[in-house]
Amino acid sequence: MELKKQPPLGKKIAIALVVFGVLLIVLFVFLVRDYLALRRANLINRRELSLSAFVQKHGPLGASEVGVIRPWMTFDYINRLFNLPKDYLKNQLQISDSHYPNLTLGSYASADKVATVEAVNNVESAISNHFNQSAL
Amino acid sequence: MDSLLTPLLSYLLLYRYATLAFVVYIGAVGAPLPVNEMLLALGAFASQGYFSFWGSLAIAVVANCLGDFTGYAITRKYGDWILRILHIRKARFFIHLEEELRSDAAITVFTTRFAGSLSSITNLLAGLVKVPFMTFALYDLIANIIEPAVALGIGYIVGNYWNDFSNFFTIVAGIVAVAIIMFVLFRIQRKIAKKYQ
Repeated sequence: MELKKQPPLGKKIAIALVVFGVLLIVLFVFLVRDYLALRRANLINRRELSLSAFVQKHGPLGASEVGVIRPWMTFDYINRLFNLPKDYLKNQLQISDSHYPNLTLGSYASADKVATVEAVNNVESAISNHFNQSAL
Repeated sequence: MDSLLTPLLSYLLLYRYATLAFVVYIGAVGAPLPVNEMLLALGAFASQGYFSFWGSLAIAVVANCLGDFTGYAITRKYGDWILRILHIRKARFFIHLEEELRSDAAITVFTTRFAGSLSSITNLLAGLVKVPFMTFALYDLIANIIEPAVALGIGYIVGNYWNDFSNFFTIVAGIVAVAIIMFVLFRIQRKIAKKYQ
């Protein structure tokens, strides 16, 4: 059978396939690198992978984990995350905003004209104090 | 963290399921939003008892399907008119993608759900080539249950550590998307090659 000449689109798709193939290899390299980083950070346990270790972590966080607090979090979420009394942070930080606890840390910082980092630090300190007082 | 993701997470915590529905819907229509990362975080929030896992999954599935149906419906009803008004000559690649959709609607609709923005393009083309609605809806629904369930499930399992896994998950999603794009391209190329043999 006589072969017709392959149209340019077929060639373009072949080139695209090669490019995507290279991209796939690069992504695999990144994936392996990320996986190794997670293992080094002890976040992936080879034997138990995730389930046993992580399911146990689903309870409220403790004082040692205040580093997870981010400006996008709301006070309501932080209260839940650390199992804090509803008005604890409001009283400690003297928050007068009526939207509390449905207020993000970022909004609180800008309303009170304090740096976001400082607001996060204040919340972290307040939570640490709460756990210290509870421990006494 | 993604600059788009942080405000989305704030809105998610403030307005809960309304944000989830809105963001997933807009993402399905075609807006480049970090929906999968948001679902990963949502899975973690569900593991902390802040959201309902099954409620979130149901809303994500419904919103995703509605977004896909919107793209499909727009081009099904107005596609030819829009192309005529805008004097758009369809690119040959899209003509072949249309052929692919016509001949293998089920597999193309299903696989492209996992291929990022190709999903939105496929919705529009499916409407344009008038893929039967029931075929489109069925395979769209099946894939739309799997995709958010995986993201929410991983988020639920990794819980408080979701942020550490966000990058890893994004790369996995990227690999899946690239592999599916390659699969679709390969099928189109094979059809072109067959035609010219």
